[in-house]
Amino acid sequence: MKPSRPATRSALGRVTANALVSSAFLRLDLELDQPFTFLPGQFVMVNEPGPRSWTFSRPFSILAGAGTSLSLLYRVVGRGTAAMASLPRGAAMQVLGPLGEPFPAPVEGSTAVLLGGGVGLPPVFAWRERWGGPRDRAFFGARDGGEVPWEMLGNSWGISVDRAEGVPPGRGAFTGVVTALAAAEAGLAPGDNGVVYACGPAPLLKAAARLARAQGWRCWVSLEEHMGCGYGVCKGCVVPVREGNGIRNATCCFEGPVFDAANLPDLGDPSVLPGTAGGAA
Amino acid sequence: MNLPSWWQLEVTAPFKLGPRELPGRIWTASGCFAYGLHAHDFRAADGTSPYLGVGAVVTKTVTPLPRTGNAMPRLVETACGALNSIGLENVGFEDFLANVLPELEARGVPTVVSLAATTPEDFGPLVRRLHEHASGFAHWHGVELNLSCPNVAEGGHDFGSAPATVARCVAAARAWLPDRALLAKITPNVADIAQLALAARDAGADAVSAINTVVGLDVDLRTGQPYLPRRFGGYSGQAILPIALAKVDQIVRGVGVPVVGVGGIAEPEDALKFFALGAVAVQVGTAQMRDPFAAARIARDLARR
Ligand SMILES: Cc1cc2nc3c(=O)[nH]c(=O)nc-3n(C[C@H](O)[C@H](O)[C@H](O)COP(=O)(O)OP(=O)(O)OC[C@H]3O[C@@H](n4cnc5c(N)ncnc54)[C@H](O)[C@@H]3O)c2cc1C
Ligand SMILES: Cc1cc2nc3c(=O)[nH]c(=O)nc-3n(C[C@H](O)[C@H](O)[C@H](O)COP(=O)(O)O)c2cc1C
Ligand code: FES
Repeated sequence: MKPSRPATRSALGRVTANALVSSAFLRLDLELDQPFTFLPGQFVMVNEPGPRSWTFSRPFSILAGAGTSLSLLYRVVGRGTAAMASLPRGAAMQVLGPLGEPFPAPVEGSTAVLLGGGVGLPPVFAWRERWGGPRDRAFFGARDGGEVPWEMLGNSWGISVDRAEGVPPGRGAFTGVVTALAAAEAGLAPGDNGVVYACGPAPLLKAAARLARAQGWRCWVSLEEHMGCGYGVCKGCVVPVREGNGIRNATCCFEGPVFDAANLPDLGDPSVLPGTAGGAA
Repeated sequence: MNLPSWWQLEVTAPFKLGPRELPGRIWTASGCFAYGLHAHDFRAADGTSPYLGVGAVVTKTVTPLPRTGNAMPRLVETACGALNSIGLENVGFEDFLANVLPELEARGVPTVVSLAATTPEDFGPLVRRLHEHASGFAHWHGVELNLSCPNVAEGGHDFGSAPATVARCVAAARAWLPDRALLAKITPNVADIAQLALAARDAGADAVSAINTVVGLDVDLRTGQPYLPRRFGGYSGQAILPIALAKVDQIVRGVGVPVVGVGGIAEPEDALKFFALGAVAVQVGTAQMRDPFAAARIARDLARR
């Protein structure tokens, strides 16, 4: 059953905290001027308030939120995120959300395999906080140990790193790709009804889809596409999805960002039509 | 804001445009609010809807057949604006008639339908079918002919840049549109936009919408190549406000045809500048993408009471 989407609000947020949680990621906590609810996998569009703000708002997955508090996890990559990183306590932020299609809720009798890579952590983190059960497994992959928000993840996440440096003493991390870790350690028995929920860079999503196919599991992925509006009106964020025997454009912001991996030709399903792979970046 | 003393219009009061009365003067621009169906459940902090006070939604341009649009990426943010190369992705005229327009009517959204076609003569049958299908609709107020999209290969720019072609398009549509407002949206990428407005007026347009996007290009320094696969895109947003104001002024003073001003409007002050030059209504484009409440907020802030 698809949960129905919570209503979208335009809110003004005040920064209550904005600090590094690892060498690469900052956590931004906002106090909104009105309450809202969200489902894991949904995102918000944020902007500087006021007349001459950025032309386009910036999309960020919701890490956590309840009532009037909202938290994001982000990495500085360009001018918008650089501006965000310098926001002091009390600074104002315009927020539109929640937006987009969430991850599905768990299906009775299934076991979740959660895969987050880099700043793709928030949607799977939120899924686990909301719906995670004792049998579910969660894995996070980062470039090195310094990038990992160890405290936020606690002891129950499997951690993989490309390079072992920066892994704190006493904490273990697998060196290699996160999907290899998940394949080795998800610990599902044959016949277990696994469902993968993944968010991260394209290679991770491709590997997640491959893993799921090999095991006969369902796989949901959250995509990142550059966005103009974030609410379905500009067609600036389309991704090719399979429909019937053909391929059509779906808006990543409104029909996604969460998609069934089996419907995404770009994730390398062998049944794709030739010549369609590799389109979305 | 403090409203200037010369400001007399009621932007949320009905006004006459050609044969039709429209409910207000602050509209959303084509392509920046889709078909006007995406934001009905959105609410501002004070509980209001993004449709409150909006005089018309100009729908995304529809073409006779569905279009999948251009290759990605389609958007580039620039200093003070953006380039787009969407390529008129749309559901196609028949799907629009069967599924979109009835939904707009049911929701009571004041609607201006934007149409594009590959030859001037194609507009006649389109408008005729539209009229046959929707003449009983209370909330369908007009047609805007998109004679100025820079992002399609067939026609596109060159298509709408000849006054004679503009005249043929307008005449073909007017013949089947006796009782709704007919607008021609014209391109700024010509030497003399007033000539296009004149051609549109003489062929029977009730107003022109000005401007569509300005041809632009941006280079990705990592690759040394243009960001957009088609190299050029349509430049819009804050940066083009002075260009749009200049074009509107040329039309108003040169031709005297009613103008719906569009280009770079994000704030009430921006809209006021168009009205100061004589525009009868304005449209909010790129700013509506950033904030679905932009047009509603401008309408509220310009209300004189
Ligand atoms: C649904 C969704 C959820 C996201 N969640 C997160 C998150 O939780 N944490 C996080 O750190 N990042 C997230 N991102 C990526 C984030 O939106 C970009 O890092 C951010 O927009 C960069 O803005 P900038 O101004 O710093 O970069 P610039 O490169 O200066 O931005 C220029 C333009 O490109 C767009 N852009 C640049 N990089 C990306 C990108 N990777 N994805 C989409 N648009 C981009 C910007 O929005 C802007 O319009 C998410 C993206 C999407 C689509
Ligand atoms: C993403 C995008 C899509 C657009 N699509 C259309 C369209 O389908 N038809 C049209 O007539 N104009 C289209 N336009 C042009 C706008 O309606 C408007 O004329 C232009 O953007 C200038 O106004 P602005 O600065 O307020 O955006 C589009 C603009 C943008 C940014
Ligand atoms: S970002 Fe505008 S439709 Fe998705």
